[in-house]
Amino acid sequence: MKRRSIVALSIVAVTVAAVMAATSGAANKSANANSITVWLQIDAQSGWPDLVASTNQKFQSDHPGTTVNVQYQNWGDHLQKFDATLAGGSGPDVIEMGNTEMTKYMAAGAFAPLDRSSFDNSASWLKGLAASGAYGGKTYGVPYYAGSRVVTYRTDLFKKAGISKLPATTAAYMADAKKLFAKNPKKGFSPMYIAGTDWYVAMSFVFDYGGGIATQISGKWKGLLSSPKSVAGLNAYKSFYLATSRASKTTDETHPNPYDVYAQSQAASMIGPSWFSCCVGKANTGRTAQFVMPGHVKGQAIPGFLGGSDLAVPVTSSSKALASDWIKDFTSTSAEKTLQAKGNIPNATNLLGSSVNERAAARSWFVPTAKHWVDVENGNILRNMLAQILTGKLSVKQAAASASDNIASVLNQP
Amino acid sequence: MAAAAETTLHRSRRRRRFWAGAVPYGLILPVVVVVSLILGYPLYWLVKLSTQQYGLFELIRHEGISVGSRNYSSVLHDSIFWHTLLRTVVFTVANVTLTMVFGMLLALLLVRVSAPVRVLLSSGLVLVWSMPVVVAVQIFYWMTNFQNGVVNYVLTELHVGDFSQHDWYATTFSQLSLVTVLIVWGALPFVVITLYAGLAQVPRDLVEAAEVDGARAWRVFADITLPILRPILLILTSLSIIWDFGVFTQPYLLIGQSKITSGNYLMSIYLFEEGYFKSDFGRGAAISILMLLMVAVLSVVYVRRMVQIGDEA
Repeated sequence: MKRRSIVALSIVAVTVAAVMAATSGAANKSANANSITVWLQIDAQSGWPDLVASTNQKFQSDHPGTTVNVQYQNWGDHLQKFDATLAGGSGPDVIEMGNTEMTKYMAAGAFAPLDRSSFDNSASWLKGLAASGAYGGKTYGVPYYAGSRVVTYRTDLFKKAGISKLPATTAAYMADAKKLFAKNPKKGFSPMYIAGTDWYVAMSFVFDYGGGIATQISGKWKGLLSSPKSVAGLNAYKSFYLATSRASKTTDETHPNPYDVYAQSQAASMIGPSWFSCCVGKANTGRTAQFVMPGHVKGQAIPGFLGGSDLAVPVTSSSKALASDWIKDFTSTSAEKTLQAKGNIPNATNLLGSSVNERAAARSWFVPTAKHWVDVENGNILRNMLAQILTGKLSVKQAAASASDNIASVLNQP
Repeated sequence: MAAAAETTLHRSRRRRRFWAGAVPYGLILPVVVVVSLILGYPLYWLVKLSTQQYGLFELIRHEGISVGSRNYSSVLHDSIFWHTLLRTVVFTVANVTLTMVFGMLLALLLVRVSAPVRVLLSSGLVLVWSMPVVVAVQIFYWMTNFQNGVVNYVLTELHVGDFSQHDWYATTFSQLSLVTVLIVWGALPFVVITLYAGLAQVPRDLVEAAEVDGARAWRVFADITLPILRPILLILTSLSIIWDFGVFTQPYLLIGQSKITSGNYLMSIYLFEEGYFKSDFGRGAAISILMLLMVAVLSVVYVRRMVQIGDEA
């Protein structure tokens, strides 16, 4: 009996010790306040890691003893991770948000207000980007950079196919695709690689034909994809895709990355952010150039999605002032110039140049600025519609009508 | 005097008996405390969450708004929920059946083959078992790749048909079939090794006697092997049902977030999309509770059988 009580006692002792160990571990963690955590998207890791490093260096020399912990995130799941940290604390002090993701979080009060005037060039921030970071008259997001979409192409393949002049309309592009097919008979080769469900490209066609995604009429959202103009745009996308791309009809624009397909010489051109030129493969660097994607009317570029990122400080951060200082360094004039040199559009109009990327931004479109827009994106409503259209599962009209209703009902949620 | 001594003796004996009776409770107390902390506490919060409106706004303030059973009725009135449930049931039945049938066949094969082949086969199985799911998903994804996948290449080279640029992810059926292959492949080692161990329990002389009496292989299997394996088969089947009903990693990663729509949801993905992607945690909790109840019903068989085996032993 005595031995039994000893066993029982020791189990209790172990349990108590374990609980104490767990709680003391938690106490240690919060004591380390001289460190900020920054969540950037992997674009920074693959595109401009040197800028991140030099910013951290400058920040640390201005704030001795403070360390910066940069954690790279994926677009696909960073919001779920962020939600988890909002619930449990220990989240980032600075977070990069896509400009289409901001509204929902600002509406819920997830970010701390920032002093707009303390950031470089804030008086001339790009309108669209600045708007995506403002809510109720306050600034919650600092524009980081923007990006338009351009065509990256193989000059040698175009020349070999006898294309002496770059296509000025989508119809001319389709005719050139025929020539490129004739010279490159290998199966799976795409004159223009477009992932089937790349909705950024598809919506460019919709806007080029005067259509749209959704509009707000007296406080209520109405889907626009089923309008005749949008349907015309979707039809144009379908025929353009079928004439130029041999990508999977159901895949998105990151599985695989278009530049990987291009680097393997399985495509003569691709559409995407201009920094795609980073990763075209060693053999192709000397024979790669970029141009602005034409629209269906001669002399007019196709409207491109003006994507971009904002930097925000979550309300849960315990080092808001440091976080804001880091953002100042990362969006300074010199930092923005580095970003520009990497093929991005800087965050302010006074810094704009005349690169192909900046010219492509002249005609652009943006997603509906609705609190629930991010649910439309995450629910893959547009991607599903495109897969249905391209695989022929549904007619363009049917697919567009169902997506349009779907979008309206998501956006009109309370 | 003697009587007094007797009562003291009685009392001390009773006291001793009381302490002797308390020791087992004292011994399981730490377990009860730990289990109620790690299971009971989250469960309590889950139930509480499921009766609240708890979105992003409430999350930041750490305070939900009580709404009673509204989350439950909204889920139960959602046609997507019922479609998903039906799809998940069909998916589970297919997965469990394939796992058990192939597991049984492989276990029987293990008994028949020579020792070196058995070692090779079982080490292969253990390797499959030890491969992390995420790695396995990535390899399956590469193998079935649209442009450069080895599956398309081999099928084309073998003249099965023109599979170059065949899209394995084009339809829901095709997507879920791939997921099924992946799950069955990953589940086989456990089932095969357990069944093989069970087969060792089949008395050799019983089989021989049956064979002497002229029983065919199938009769021997149906009348001798199966009845002996029944308890193991029952437990393996119930466990597989529980696992496959709530499977998340394989379908979510293999199909890929950008291809997931309400048209190919499985229960766990429905829960994830509704609860987390839409930041509607209260509704997500309600779906969790409903799933929990379903799995609990499915586990009754398993638990009852475990108790029976315990009683027999």
